[in-house]
Amino acid sequence: MNRRAATLTVVTIGVLAVLPPLLSSTWLLVMFLSFLWLILTANYDVLDGFLGHINLGQGAFFGLGAYVTTMMLNVAAVQALGGLALVVSALVAVVSAALFAAVMAVPLFRLKGLYFAIATLILIFLLQVFALNLGDLTGGSYGLYVPPRFFVSTFVAYYVALAVAIVSVGFNFYLSRSTLGLAFRCLKEDEEGADSIGLHPLRYKTIGLVLASVPSAAGGVLFALNAGFIDPTIALGVERSLLPPLMALLGGTGTVLGPVFGTAIIRIIETVFFHYLRLPVPSMLFFGLTLMAVALLIPAGLMRSPRVRRLSLFRAFSS
Amino acid sequence: MARALELVIGGLSLGGIYALLAFAMSLTISTTRVLNVAHGVFFVWGGAFERGIVRTLLGRSHQMLLVGSIMATFGLGLSMESALGYGWVTFVDPYPVFSSPLAMFPIRLGDVALSGSRLVILAFVVVTVMSFHLFLQKTFLGKGARAMAQNFDGFLVIGLNPYRLSMILFTLAIMATAISGAFYVLAVPLNPYEGLPLTLKSFTVVILAGVGNLPATLVAGALLGVAEVATSQFLGTVWAPAVSLAVLFLVLVVKPTGLFGKGVY
Repeated sequence: MNRRAATLTVVTIGVLAVLPPLLSSTWLLVMFLSFLWLILTANYDVLDGFLGHINLGQGAFFGLGAYVTTMMLNVAAVQALGGLALVVSALVAVVSAALFAAVMAVPLFRLKGLYFAIATLILIFLLQVFALNLGDLTGGSYGLYVPPRFFVSTFVAYYVALAVAIVSVGFNFYLSRSTLGLAFRCLKEDEEGADSIGLHPLRYKTIGLVLASVPSAAGGVLFALNAGFIDPTIALGVERSLLPPLMALLGGTGTVLGPVFGTAIIRIIETVFFHYLRLPVPSMLFFGLTLMAVALLIPAGLMRSPRVRRLSLFRAFSS
Repeated sequence: MARALELVIGGLSLGGIYALLAFAMSLTISTTRVLNVAHGVFFVWGGAFERGIVRTLLGRSHQMLLVGSIMATFGLGLSMESALGYGWVTFVDPYPVFSSPLAMFPIRLGDVALSGSRLVILAFVVVTVMSFHLFLQKTFLGKGARAMAQNFDGFLVIGLNPYRLSMILFTLAIMATAISGAFYVLAVPLNPYEGLPLTLKSFTVVILAGVGNLPATLVAGALLGVAEVATSQFLGTVWAPAVSLAVLFLVLVVKPTGLFGKGVY
């Protein structure tokens, strides 16, 4: 990263950090949700961009984080901890998502390509079934409320989400420069070759999945604490798994800034079209068409497209 | 004489496709007495799908083809689904459920009463799968399709046209799918947003049977159906959707080639 790119990054983060007092509550929420999407997209790119696996299950970690926190906060023993309860339940949620990722990594990474994508897509549907049917724990289809005294205001949630998003994108930046990232890309290019030089495939893939699940789960925790209410369609909606691939592909997978730009573009369009203009068009219709157009027209994503690469802003970052 | 034989065989292979088309259509007419004029539209949708998406994707390298195909078809599916759901909710019925008002008389065998519509569905399924099987085994186009699946480079070397063939195959498949949907609502009500779960369900059957193993899909489908019914009977209906997901996950992880092995064709 050269000095210009470093300055730009610092200025962007600085602007985002001083922004909240100037925003209306609606825009604060829009920005907060955009950070959550950015977290999911950046995490998705760990597996797609660096390890070459299409993970359609990123939303499962988000939902798991949201559900475990809310369930914990509804337990009397946890509530008795007072202020610590938030920290404890958030930690338990993140750790359980990481454990879930580590356990699922063993069967999932026996698969490749299409089979891996479908198997990961099942995760969120399986969690949905459990969330719907284990009504005593999860509230079933009625959902679950966070006790009011544990609400996190959007103002605080904004900063935490921003921090987690910076960590997620920073992790991708670290991957693009480090030996760990090099190992990941070795595995992506040639798994047997990588195995023969001592890079154990399952170990590295598991590391990738677990590290990618942690920020997503943290995002889910934040979402639940801020929304105050979760149910299977809010916390475990399929779009939590499907939009991150769209955003990452639009921006360009395997590039650190691809997910950032992809998320920004989709969120800007979504906000302008649906919150501002209030177009009477179902959002999934729009996302579906975008997804199709991206996959057909710019398969490598914006950040790898020659037209974008020629722009001076891009050159500042890529050098 | 040889020319006449060529013509006959050419006509038969073309007629084989027509038969496949017409069979499903005549069955819908005779059972529901609805002449589906949109039948051809589904057919054209199949063709357009191939032209717009499959052809764009076919030339790509392995990883890009995979990412592209999942994303493009997901996109198409999502937009079609939400357009249908939204349109139906806005203009027809705020709580859309597609079901057939047509109750077919039950057939009694001693004490056992069999639902007439279920029997019709069963017969339709068996005949369609078998005709697909015959199409793939006996016709020139079907053999071409098997060649394409087995060895794409060899398929190109002997001078067959992958675009034309994939267009025909996708048209047939989407048509058969659309017809299956029409039959499905005879027995089970459907809502506009059931597309993705049903895709996963059909994927379960395909994987369970082994990709490309058509006769085994009958067995696999039957197994899954029985498993779901048994689950709703013993564990409660709420757990039935979990069955196909769990089966799919288990089969993928334990034996991704399917129960009956791969490469029958």
